[in-house]
Amino acid sequence: MDTLITHSSILIIAIPLVTAFLIPLVGMTSKKARNALVIVSLAFVAFLVFALAKDIAINGIHIYTLGATSPDLTTPTGFMVPVRIILEVDGMSILMGIIWSIVSLAAAIFSLSHIASETGQNRFYTLLLLMVTGGFGMMFTSDLFNLFVFLEIASISGAALIAFRTKFADTQEGGFKYIVVSAIASLMVLFAIGLLYAQYNLLNIGALAQVIQYTTPDKIALALLLIAFTMKAGMVPLHLWFPDAYSVAPASITGMLVITSHACMYAAFRVCFTLYGGMLDAPVVGWILIVFGLLSMFVGVTMAVFQKDVMRFMSYHAISQLGYMWVGVGVGLAVLGNPELVATYGRDAISGGVFHILNHAMYKPLLFFTGGALFHRTGTRDLTKMGGLAHKMKWTTILYIIGTLSIAGIPPLNGFSSKILIYESVYQFHPILTITGIIVSILTLASFTKAFHSAFMGAELPEYKEVKEVPRSMIIAMVILAAGIVFITLFPSLIVNWTIHPAADALIDQGAYITAVTGAVP
Amino acid sequence: MTSILESGYAFWNPIIWIIAFVVVMVVVYFFRRRGQKTYKKDTAQTQIFLCGEEVPEAGQRHIRVGNIYWGFFETLKEYYNQVLRPHTGIINDYVLWFVAVTAVSAIILLIAGLAK
Repeated sequence: MDTLITHSSILIIAIPLVTAFLIPLVGMTSKKARNALVIVSLAFVAFLVFALAKDIAINGIHIYTLGATSPDLTTPTGFMVPVRIILEVDGMSILMGIIWSIVSLAAAIFSLSHIASETGQNRFYTLLLLMVTGGFGMMFTSDLFNLFVFLEIASISGAALIAFRTKFADTQEGGFKYIVVSAIASLMVLFAIGLLYAQYNLLNIGALAQVIQYTTPDKIALALLLIAFTMKAGMVPLHLWFPDAYSVAPASITGMLVITSHACMYAAFRVCFTLYGGMLDAPVVGWILIVFGLLSMFVGVTMAVFQKDVMRFMSYHAISQLGYMWVGVGVGLAVLGNPELVATYGRDAISGGVFHILNHAMYKPLLFFTGGALFHRTGTRDLTKMGGLAHKMKWTTILYIIGTLSIAGIPPLNGFSSKILIYESVYQFHPILTITGIIVSILTLASFTKAFHSAFMGAELPEYKEVKEVPRSMIIAMVILAAGIVFITLFPSLIVNWTIHPAADALIDQGAYITAVTGAVP
Repeated sequence: MTSILESGYAFWNPIIWIIAFVVVMVVVYFFRRRGQKTYKKDTAQTQIFLCGEEVPEAGQRHIRVGNIYWGFFETLKEYYNQVLRPHTGIINDYVLWFVAVTAVSAIILLIAGLAK
């Protein structure tokens, strides 16, 4: 078991990668065997992630150096700086890993029935597993260039999956928009990495953080990295592509795409807190995140109320909810240079933002899955054509209600727990942030009530007389996420103390990240 | 306690909330039980009554998504005109926004750096 834990970080990336290329071979012989391989590999990866999380809780940051005689040998003999590919998993990275492992497993289970009638399923699962690889890589790597590579893997596979259902014209358009936006974001990331590498001759985030000077090229690199990652995360006003792409993908993939947005958000946080850290003009960057976060919250929710397409409606809500995270973490970043304010409310604001990532990762894919379930049975995403579906789809209705109450922050659901942490902490920074948050929550509930009434309520419509509940695997996938919501709802303190506070502390404590790789604090 | 979340100023305990919710539900159920007992299932009592008018078909009487919150959209018409304008669906416009936001952010960071 110890050996497994030692190599777990690379296995978590390698297993889905290897399985991805086995899928076409296994798929040629048996469809059932292929499906089983996908689920078993992702379940094993989830097991490894939880085992690694336990190890990190006990022993601290996990380091893995590829090609070294010992995984913790970060600097090779005769070298002054780390040059090998290094994976560094701390409290923040492992929280993202936990989220990704749960959602990708649920998405794979959901896909078993959701795409059962589609052609090219071998390709679908290969791309799904490649996307999982890219996501884990982004979360675990401590190397900027590898971050770019994994971002590319996740983006290319994501674009192909969005465009997977070629029988629909809008999927091609959505996939095209996604790949163009991703390519531009990736190029800007690469350009920023080039600016940093040209000055410091380093790619490792910890080693770079030790020597970075915050020169003019560093500031330009920061702007490029920050805006590229925020665009990929769907922050207003760079969100325009987001509903176009997310609404047309198969629902299981949309659920995963939400987490790739979280991964890009994580990368932005890593750049601000860990790479630049103490050198950063924290109040300015913090306010940039807060302003864009507020815009995302408000524009996202008001655009959502306006929508008639169930998946576009949910996509705009994803943008709005991401705004809460930007605001929470942005406030923490703005006061990063003042330890007293960090202790008073900065840490709580970051914790609230990070906690909201976890909560959002449970209820948003669940809501996308319910949207996918509606599409699966009615053949339309148009809410104006739906009605009375609660008579036929009882499980989907109940799961939709759970997701709705959670996203709207209705007590006692988990969305309330993270929102109360954000509201109380950011209020001390500026009351308008909390006021906006509460208004957005009210609008969120109002819009989900509207969608609920349109799709589920009312008398049974004659056109949906033959509609049945979705297949069992889709229900199971939704129940997994709903169970996550219920667990976090009942034990918020357990979750905050074991995962959220360590994640927030990992962002605040730049020194710990640097020391784990270089052995010295700047 | 694994359920009590300290938020810095107060605490949040979902278990207490759930207990309170269950108590309220029990009280509601108690009053409901004491209500009208002459209700008969599968009789005319269960039919929709619209002042004696003929009840429209299910599809006709379902209030669709386009008819909900009409007043909200009418009030915020100007806001929606402005906010819908950038949503052109054209990828060139999206890239232009990216360039503009990156440039503005870089300028802000550079100016803030000079002032530091």
